[in-house]
Amino acid sequence: MNSEITKKLLKLIGLILIISFGLDKLVFFSLNKISDEVMTGQAIGKLNQFLSIKDSTDFIVFGNSRANHHIDVDLFSKNGFNIGVDGVGIAYNSTLINTLKNDKKQLILIHIDTKNFFDPNYDGSDIRGLKTKYHREKNITNSLNKSKSLSVLQRFYYSMNYNGNSIGILKNYFKPSYNYKTYSGYDPLTVSNSQQEMRDIILAKANTSITEDCMGKTKMNTTAVNYLKSIKSFIDNSPNKKFIFVTTPIYNDTCNEDNKLLSTLMQDLGLKYLDFTNLYKDTKDNSYWKDATHMSVIGAEKFSAYLSEKLKPFM
Amino acid sequence: MLFNSIEYLIFLPIVFIIYWLLKNNYKNQNILLLISSYVFYGWWDYRFISLIIFSSFLDYFVGQKIEDALDKNKKRWLYVSLLSNLGLLGVFKYYNFFADSFATTMSTIGWEVNSLTLNIILPVGISFYTFQTLSYSIDIYRKEIKASRDIVAFFTFVSLFPQLVAGPIERASNLIPQIEKKRNLNVTLIKTGIFQIFIGLFRKVAIADNLGIYVDSVYGNYEIHNGSTLLVATIFYAFQIYFDFSGYSDIAIGSAKLFGFNFNRNFNFPYFSRTLTEFWRRWHMSLSFWLRDYLYISLGGNRKGIVITYRNLLLTMLIGGLWHGSSWNFVIWGGIHGLFLSLEKYTFSALKIKTFNALGYIYTFIVVLIAWVFFRAPDFHSASTILSEIISFNYGSLFIGNINTFINAILLLALGFVIDLKIFRTNIPLEDYGVKFSMLKLSIIVSLIILLLCLFYSTAENFIYFQF
Repeated sequence: MNSEITKKLLKLIGLILIISFGLDKLVFFSLNKISDEVMTGQAIGKLNQFLSIKDSTDFIVFGNSRANHHIDVDLFSKNGFNIGVDGVGIAYNSTLINTLKNDKKQLILIHIDTKNFFDPNYDGSDIRGLKTKYHREKNITNSLNKSKSLSVLQRFYYSMNYNGNSIGILKNYFKPSYNYKTYSGYDPLTVSNSQQEMRDIILAKANTSITEDCMGKTKMNTTAVNYLKSIKSFIDNSPNKKFIFVTTPIYNDTCNEDNKLLSTLMQDLGLKYLDFTNLYKDTKDNSYWKDATHMSVIGAEKFSAYLSEKLKPFM
Repeated sequence: MLFNSIEYLIFLPIVFIIYWLLKNNYKNQNILLLISSYVFYGWWDYRFISLIIFSSFLDYFVGQKIEDALDKNKKRWLYVSLLSNLGLLGVFKYYNFFADSFATTMSTIGWEVNSLTLNIILPVGISFYTFQTLSYSIDIYRKEIKASRDIVAFFTFVSLFPQLVAGPIERASNLIPQIEKKRNLNVTLIKTGIFQIFIGLFRKVAIADNLGIYVDSVYGNYEIHNGSTLLVATIFYAFQIYFDFSGYSDIAIGSAKLFGFNFNRNFNFPYFSRTLTEFWRRWHMSLSFWLRDYLYISLGGNRKGIVITYRNLLLTMLIGGLWHGSSWNFVIWGGIHGLFLSLEKYTFSALKIKTFNALGYIYTFIVVLIAWVFFRAPDFHSASTILSEIISFNYGSLFIGNINTFINAILLLALGFVIDLKIFRTNIPLEDYGVKFSMLKLSIIVSLIILLLCLFYSTAENFIYFQF
C-alpha cells in the first residue's frame, strides 16, 4: 500500500466518520424534538406520559405485559396509571421506580414474575427499553451506565438510542394512536371469535401437570435479585409510599417451587408480596384467557375487581 | 467472532494495518493471515482449530502425493483425501442423524435398538472448509491445478478468515495463486470492499434480523397461526435467509478485498430468476457450482442419456440438501429443487425453449417458497402442517406481533428490494458497484447506511448458515 493509497484511505475513513457523526446528531436531535411531543404508543409515548404524570398520581402499576393487560387501574383510583410494558423485567421497572419522588404519597403496585427471578439467562437487558431517555433523564442515564448494557458505539452514535423506535415515534407524532388524556395505561386484551379456537389450542397445550423438579429453575438469578434490592433501598427511603408486589394469575403454572422460594425472599427482604399465580387454576374457564400467561378482558376485569378489594386496606 | 460484532470491528482494522505494514513480504503477510484466521476461528471454540490443522495437513500432504504419483496411485491418494474429509464430516455432522434414522427404521420393523447417538458438537464451518479442501484434491487429480508446495500458503487457503465459517467456498484455482504472490491494494479494491461490507451489514443486521423476529415468533408456534400468517412468515423467511446469507457473503468478499483478494461471487439477485435453473445460477453460487463441477459432472452429468441426467440432477440436489444439515427436511428441500429442475429440463427440451416468460418469476418464487418451508420448519410434521395450512387458502386475519417490529421489517424489506432492483438493472455486479462513486459520494452512502444501522439494527444470535 503506497502513500497515495494510504492518503485516500484515510480521507475516506475521515469523511465517513465526519459525515456519519453529523448525520447521526442531526437525526438524534430531530428525533428528540419530535419524540418530546409524542404521548401515545409503546415506542416512547407511554413512557413520556408516565414521566410527565408520575409525581401527580396516587396509584402506579409497574410491570411487564401481564401487568399492562391484567390490572385496570380505574378500579383502584381515579388518578392512577399503569406503566406495564411488553417484554420488560425487573431491571426496567427498578429504574423507573427510582425516578419517583421519595416524599410523594403514593401506592405503588409492582408486578413481578417468578420467570424473571429464576431464569438463568436473565441479564437485565430489558433496561435497554429505556434507551430513548439515555442522556436525557438523569436517573435513567445512571442506571443504563451502571448496567453496561448499551453498546460502546452508543457513545459516538447517539441515534442508536432510537433503535427500533423511530418509525413508531414518527407515526405517533403525525397520527396519535389514542387520546392520552383519557388513557390510564391499562390495555385489556379482547379475544375475537376467530381467535377463540387458537386460544383453546394454546390452553390445551399448557394443560400439563406439575413438574416436580421445575426443570432445574430453582436457582435465583442474582441480577434480578440485585434490582429487587435496589427497589428495596428506594422503599426504605420513601416512608410516604406504600409498596406492594404482586404476581397475577397464570392459566396453569407447572412449578410451585419457584413461587415458594420467591415468597421466602420477599419475606426475608421485608417486602409485602401477594402471589395470585394459581388463583384461577381450578376455574378452567377459557374465557378468562387470551393465552396461557395473559388474561382476556373478562379475566382481567374479574381479577382487577378482586385485587382492588384485597388492596382496600392500603388505599 | 461474528462479522456484525464489536470484536470484528476491532479485529479487522488491527489485522488490516499490520498486514499492510508487512507489504514488502507476502510470506509474512500469509503468516499473519494464518494466525489471525485461527484467532478468528478460535473465538468460537479453540478446540476445533486442531481439526482445521489436521484437515490442512492431510490435504497438503495428499495433494502432493496425488500430483507425484503414477496414474494408478493417483486414484488411491484421491480416495484417501475423499474418505478422510468426508469421514470427518460424516462423524461430526451426520453420525447422529444416521444413527437415529437407523434406530427408527429398526423399531418400525419391531427390532428395538438402544440409542446410538453421541453427544457431538458440530464444528463451525466444517461443511465449507471440507468442500474447499476436497475440490483442491480433485482439481489436482484432474490436473487442473498444481499441488501447493508452500505450507503456509496452503494452510492460509483452507482457513482464510473472511471465508472460513460460511464461505464463499473458494476454489484453489482462484485463491491459492493469489495467496502465493504479492498482493496490492488500490482505490478500486478499497471502494468496492467498503461499499460491499456496509451493504452486507445492512442486509444482515437491519433487514434479515428484523424479518427474523417475526419469522421466529410464527414458526415457533406454527400450530396457532392461520394460513395468511404462515404465508407471510414464509415469504419473510425467504428474504431473511437471502439477506442473511448474501449479507454474510458481502462482508466476507468486501473484507477479503481490503487484503487484496478477489473472491468469487456468491449471490446474484436470485429472486430475479425466471426459472429454477437460473435461480441456482444466482443462489449460493459457490456451492451450486461446486455441486455441478464435482458431483453432477462426476456422476456423468448430461452425457449418459436423459434418464441418467434426471437421476444425476435429483441426486445432486438431494446431496446438496443433506450438505445443509443432518435432517430429512433438508433432503426434502433438495428433493423439491431436484424434481423441479428435472421438470424444467424436460419442459425446455419438449417445448424447445430456453426460458419462461415474465410469469416465470412468480413460478420460481413459489417453488422456492414451498421448499423454504421444509428448510425452516423444525421437522417434517411441522413443515407439512404449515404447508397444508398455507395451501388450504383458509386465510384469516394476519398476526402482527409487535407492531413496531413488523412495520420496521416491512419497510426495511422494501428498501432492500429497491436497492437490489436498482443494482440489478444497472447490470453492474454488486462486487464492482462501489467503484462508481466518488470518495465523497461513497462516504455519504456509507454514512446513510450507518444511520440506518443505528436506527434499525437488530441483534440476532448468529448467521443462519453458521449452523451448516
